[in-house]
Amino acid sequence: MSAINLYFQVHQPFRLKEFSFFHIGRDYEYENHDLNLSVLNKVADKCYIPAGKLLLELLQKHEGKFKLNFSLSGVFLEQIAQFRPDVLEIFKALYQTGYVEFLSETYYHSLAFHYSEQEFDRQVAKHTEALQKYLGATPSKVFRNTELIYSNELAKYLYDKGFEGVLSEGADNVLETRSPNFVYESIASPILVLLRNYKLTDDIAFRFSDKNWKEWPLTVEKYTQFLETEAENGAEVVNLFMDYETLGEHQWEDTGIFTFFTALVDDIVAHSNLHFATSTEVIQQHKSQGTIDAPRSISWADLERDLSAWRSNSLQYEAFNKVYDFEKAVLAKNDENLLHTWGKLQTSDHFYYMSTKQASDGDVHSYFSPYHSPYDAYLYYLNILSDFELRIRG
Amino acid sequence: MNRLKVLMLGWEFPPIINGGLGIASQGIAKALSSVVDLTMILPKTSANYVLDNVDLIGINSLNLEHLKEEISHSETVIVGTKSVIVPVDLLPYQPVYESEIEIQEEIQEQLNHNFPEINQEDIKSFAGEIYGNDIWEKIDKYAKIATNIAATKEFDVIHAHDWMTFLAGLTIKEKFGKPLVLHIHSLETDRAGIGSRGSVYQLEQYAAQQADAIIAVSQYTASVLVHHYGIDADKITVVHNGIEPISAFKTEKPFPEKLVVFLGRLTGQKGPDYFLETAQKVMLAYPNVRFVIAGTGEKLKALIETGAYKQLGTRLHFTGFSPREKVFEMLSMADVYCMPSVSEPFGLSALEAASFGVPIVISNQAGVSEVLPSALRADFWDVIGMARQIVSLLRDKELSNQKVKEAYKDLEEVSWAFAAEKSVALYEKLLS
Repeated sequence: MSAINLYFQVHQPFRLKEFSFFHIGRDYEYENHDLNLSVLNKVADKCYIPAGKLLLELLQKHEGKFKLNFSLSGVFLEQIAQFRPDVLEIFKALYQTGYVEFLSETYYHSLAFHYSEQEFDRQVAKHTEALQKYLGATPSKVFRNTELIYSNELAKYLYDKGFEGVLSEGADNVLETRSPNFVYESIASPILVLLRNYKLTDDIAFRFSDKNWKEWPLTVEKYTQFLETEAENGAEVVNLFMDYETLGEHQWEDTGIFTFFTALVDDIVAHSNLHFATSTEVIQQHKSQGTIDAPRSISWADLERDLSAWRSNSLQYEAFNKVYDFEKAVLAKNDENLLHTWGKLQTSDHFYYMSTKQASDGDVHSYFSPYHSPYDAYLYYLNILSDFELRIRG
Repeated sequence: MNRLKVLMLGWEFPPIINGGLGIASQGIAKALSSVVDLTMILPKTSANYVLDNVDLIGINSLNLEHLKEEISHSETVIVGTKSVIVPVDLLPYQPVYESEIEIQEEIQEQLNHNFPEINQEDIKSFAGEIYGNDIWEKIDKYAKIATNIAATKEFDVIHAHDWMTFLAGLTIKEKFGKPLVLHIHSLETDRAGIGSRGSVYQLEQYAAQQADAIIAVSQYTASVLVHHYGIDADKITVVHNGIEPISAFKTEKPFPEKLVVFLGRLTGQKGPDYFLETAQKVMLAYPNVRFVIAGTGEKLKALIETGAYKQLGTRLHFTGFSPREKVFEMLSMADVYCMPSVSEPFGLSALEAASFGVPIVISNQAGVSEVLPSALRADFWDVIGMARQIVSLLRDKELSNQKVKEAYKDLEEVSWAFAAEKSVALYEKLLS
């Protein structure tokens, strides 16, 4: 009997505007409000509302046999609370079914762990507060770091903070020849690690509507067969971790994604060898099958599955160094607004837009980026940091 | 006394401003228009940019029928019957443009009835941008069309600005027997490196050899012509550019740091890499400073990356291509203007900065340093020297004020009227 551990990431950054040199010292508005609102509305209409309603239906229909996991970034919660309370209501309702687990993460969807443990703690605590404030929800003891970034250091740190489980990418270099379909333990601490089955997840998240894919069209029968095969090979868990926007935004409704998803959930529930589980259930019900050693950070981003999506070129390094250089000065100001502005400047997306990778990874980066080029992204960001620096210095 | 009649051949002209050429062409044309009868042929003109007393002819708006009419009634004497052959190797991978012609080829004027034939297609090719991959074709068509236009005009001397018009200049000289003056605003050795010997260089050299006189915008450029083009120094007259009066103003900076400005195309010639190195050195000695690089070019990305690598991100700002008002805004806020050009025939922007009361630090390899004798300077490669000069201006308010005053005095000797005067004296010498 294999546990299907379905997890959705939900996040929207506060995208920054084209802040030129001439704005420095003159303009306090860093964010592109119009763009952020229009993206939020577009994704709400194509994904958050229809997918949310569908999930509620399925959860109610299957009375506990269908369960899943979410993590919602703090900046996302802020935006829906302010602009799309209808979306917020749906997430509240999802939580209230009792069949949805909300994982813990950093409020600002940041890479703070790599620069300041103090800041990381602050953001995790702020995220927990936000879940409580907006959804009345308590996060579970399973953590997922921004974009599934994982390392031995993180595993040790999380365990010391009381977490029991952590999500990670099922990267080949940490699995070696092993299967992601088991629970593992970190080599650095007893925390249990759940590794994404990227092949099966990406079959849906990326390849679902790819007509050049040899498995297209992906029918429910076919996919359920894939899952069955894993079960027959002894899989204890299949971790399907993906972006929530798969449902309706990355895969549009007319691809049949909603129909597929509904039928898949029904099939798994009815299946004798498969069942749904939440992350907490998975780590409670399974023993570790070995240790995961990740001395260097891995993630679910780009072909490299490491930190390079956000931090590989000199632009990105400089942007990170500068924003974290401000930590001491910002904290000393004791100003909630400045602190919040600083937090939002740490959101991983800003650095993602500065990536100069080419080929298919480059395509993905520019799909998400609101700028003409990574150089523009960098220049605007640094102009904003320059202005921010003036504000901190008062 | 009858005014001299000058046929001027231009390429860039307002509103098309890619660099100094357009501005300088306009400056000299305006100044000359009050002392000579000036006809100016350009690839493109716009109805918004006219000059009083100048017959501005834009090929893009030429009426071929009228022109052919006029030619048939023209009494202009055609004296030259030879073809104009410019020995130029058109090789691939030129720095200025890409050519697909791989064999040695000579540009040859077709002579039908002693005259280059033109048609509507030739005129159409000037509707779009004036540079581009087909620049050699454009130059050829320009030469043919300009020669036809020249047949309808009276003129005593031909005045051709930069290499794009030289073929036209040579052809018109050949056909009508008038003296040709080349006006050198820039050379291929500036744009593409001192060792450049490609097609553009060859055209520049050939034209310089054939021309009756050469105007160079600086002593620096004159010496490049002598030492790297092998041109006889006696043929060259230095006529420094002038500057249009600017309404300068000061703007308070919205930040407390001092501001050092670099304006120019981001290509090797302008030395932006040296500016970056200099900026880093300046910051070590004087941290309370910001740098802005205004302009774009093929080096932009590499400069941004190097700036990031040197951790100058919050102090080194790039504005990309900036329209004139933004350029003036930057100059109005600047505490120092730095021009570390590797090879600059003139450098009008330094004069603009001086007009804005900004103290200047320029390279010895910039022609404009000849008309700003008071300006602080260093060799372009001397990053430490350049940094030292900048720091001294940042630290010492009195020195800065003094330099600004001295530059204003230098500017008094700089004028297009004076440039026009020298040009006319040259024409008269040629015609006597």
